[in-house]
Amino acid sequence: MDSTNFIETEDLTKIYSMGRIEVVALKDVNLSVKQGEFLGVTGPSGSGKSTLMNLLGGLDTPSDGRIKVEGKFISDLNKEELALYRRYQVGMIFQSFNIISSYTALENVAFPLLFAEVAKKERNSRSEQMLTKVGLHHRKEHLPSELSGGEQQRVAIARALINQPKILLADEPTGNLDSKTSRQIVQTLSDLNKNQGLTVIMISHEESLLAEFADNIIRLFDGRVVGQENQ
Amino acid sequence: MKISDYIEQSFANLWKKKLRTFLTTFGVVIGIGALVSMISFGKGVQKNVTDEFNKLELFNYISVSTSSSPRENHADPDQQTSAEDEYLAPALVFDKKTRESESNILDDTFIQEVTSLKGVEYAFPEIRFPAMIRFKGKEEFSLIQVLPAYVTDLMELRAGEAYASNDTNSLIISDSMLRRMRIKNYEEVIGQQVELSTLTLDFSIFNLVNIASGISHAAHFFIRGGKDPNGTRAERLPFSTRSYTFTIVGVAERMGFGGALPLRSDVYVPPGPSQRMEKLLLTSIWDFFQPPGKIQGYSSVSVKLSSAKYVEPVKKKIQDWGFKTFALIDQLEEMKKAFIFMDMFLFAVGMIAIVVASLGIINTMVMSILERYKEIGIAKAVGASDRDVKKIFFFETGVIGFFGGIFGLILGWMVSMLINLIINSFATRQGAPYVNYFSFPWWLCLGAIGFSIFVSLAAGIYPTIRAARVDPVIALRHD
Repeated sequence: MDSTNFIETEDLTKIYSMGRIEVVALKDVNLSVKQGEFLGVTGPSGSGKSTLMNLLGGLDTPSDGRIKVEGKFISDLNKEELALYRRYQVGMIFQSFNIISSYTALENVAFPLLFAEVAKKERNSRSEQMLTKVGLHHRKEHLPSELSGGEQQRVAIARALINQPKILLADEPTGNLDSKTSRQIVQTLSDLNKNQGLTVIMISHEESLLAEFADNIIRLFDGRVVGQENQ
Repeated sequence: MKISDYIEQSFANLWKKKLRTFLTTFGVVIGIGALVSMISFGKGVQKNVTDEFNKLELFNYISVSTSSSPRENHADPDQQTSAEDEYLAPALVFDKKTRESESNILDDTFIQEVTSLKGVEYAFPEIRFPAMIRFKGKEEFSLIQVLPAYVTDLMELRAGEAYASNDTNSLIISDSMLRRMRIKNYEEVIGQQVELSTLTLDFSIFNLVNIASGISHAAHFFIRGGKDPNGTRAERLPFSTRSYTFTIVGVAERMGFGGALPLRSDVYVPPGPSQRMEKLLLTSIWDFFQPPGKIQGYSSVSVKLSSAKYVEPVKKKIQDWGFKTFALIDQLEEMKKAFIFMDMFLFAVGMIAIVVASLGIINTMVMSILERYKEIGIAKAVGASDRDVKKIFFFETGVIGFFGGIFGLILGWMVSMLINLIINSFATRQGAPYVNYFSFPWWLCLGAIGFSIFVSLAAGIYPTIRAARVDPVIALRHD
């Protein structure tokens, strides 16, 4: 493994067992991401994109192979250590936004700070600042049901960044958005990448968006990397 | 997460499902209420018994009775007085060796002797006799207790005062007796005259003729059938009545729990006038079979000690003299065992409701986990550990337990007070004193809340483990 890489995987494999049947979601994936890079991941449905994202985000553990982030093998971490990794080093956004429907925008953004044991006053002030950054301060008391899809995704981005992670993982963040809003969201991610040096890995079906904003693109098919493009 | 955050989150999450939270908490409230009522009843009974005993210093009493045939031992104080010259006068010059060598009789000599023992404050005979009490046109039958003036300080007086002398025609009447006579103002009876009618054996010629006539009438009507027109059966028995007038000087509270040693009556008179009264003691059926002048000594004597520590040595001494003794303190260990069994039984009954409430908590929390499945996945995605997730749900069950405990305690107290009110309203009408059947010591109040939280947390173990095991990958895909 190259020590200059910020994120690196080595023969990353994930096999799901369903009774006697084994489904190979990822097979021997090797990739490397530099700090501050915007990596696009594309591929058809079932190619293993989300599995890769879950493994890189510490939500799941590999069946084989290793993942190294900032010099540490996260594939060797126990559950508690993985929780700390997710809390402080990585932020994640999803196609279905995954914000809590009964919480206001502000409460959703502040949610990760609860687990970081940040005082309530500071939680609120940091969350308000983050909502201002994504242009939603005026909507802070609104419930997700009162927000548009784009606004919900921006709340999710604010929440993902509230603990100042170095990596942002975006799993089809534009999947539920119209093209205009999709472009705005990816633009926001690109700005964060360019201005704050945030390392972004984004999964998307929309190759045109990736081609416009990503530094590199990898293509997955049947759990294997079948192509890599430098932009 | 900080503890304050866990608490705040718990309140917020529970508040979102108000009805379900209320119903679950209500289950705990009922369970804790039932348990608290049961335990407080057990403790109330124990407290009443021990307080009553301690208040009256009943653990400082020894009841002495003779171990020989009861035929020899039941006495009328009058007959005692009349028989003194013949039977007891020599024994007044008391000598221990003489006492030990003689037949054991509970008499004034015994009282003198036992009073001289170390730790004995006083001793007095337990004498009771039946009498009809007539007051303000009402009649009530009761056993009259002869009580020396120096023992009257054991009584709780509701009105008036105790008689100061042993030789005054005064009496103390209980409040329950007055209530039976429909008299509610105790103050107004003080200083008023009351008539006591006693029974005496009457073997006079006139009475024997009357009895024979009665038997003849009875035989006549038995053969012919029909109703006896000539008076009552009492007129055909060898009894006659004597009436005595006393002045009420005090109204005493009727002792609870049947008036344990040594006050067990509704009317108390001093020994002086009692000795002058003609009466049948009727403390035993054997009295009827005693030839006149053969009744010796008292049936029993109460010995009051200055402290419970003297019970053993004094008791042993009295037993050495050949008497039987009974001290309530001997029963204390047995009473404690009985109380423990009672507590355990009441606790077990109360626990049934707690178990049902626990199932309610488990059900609620499992439902909550299913509803918040995605939320748990999100929490894990943003950095919550399994331990954090467990704590979130543990705090929620703890909050249910806390409020269940507090309101359960209040419910238990209210129900107990209501039951107490109902029982006492019936009991006091029957002349029984007011008794608080429930006790809420501080440890029960705190313990109920603590136990409620503990049970709720225990009920939350399975749901919290289940919540912690939620796979975030699956949960995030969950709709």
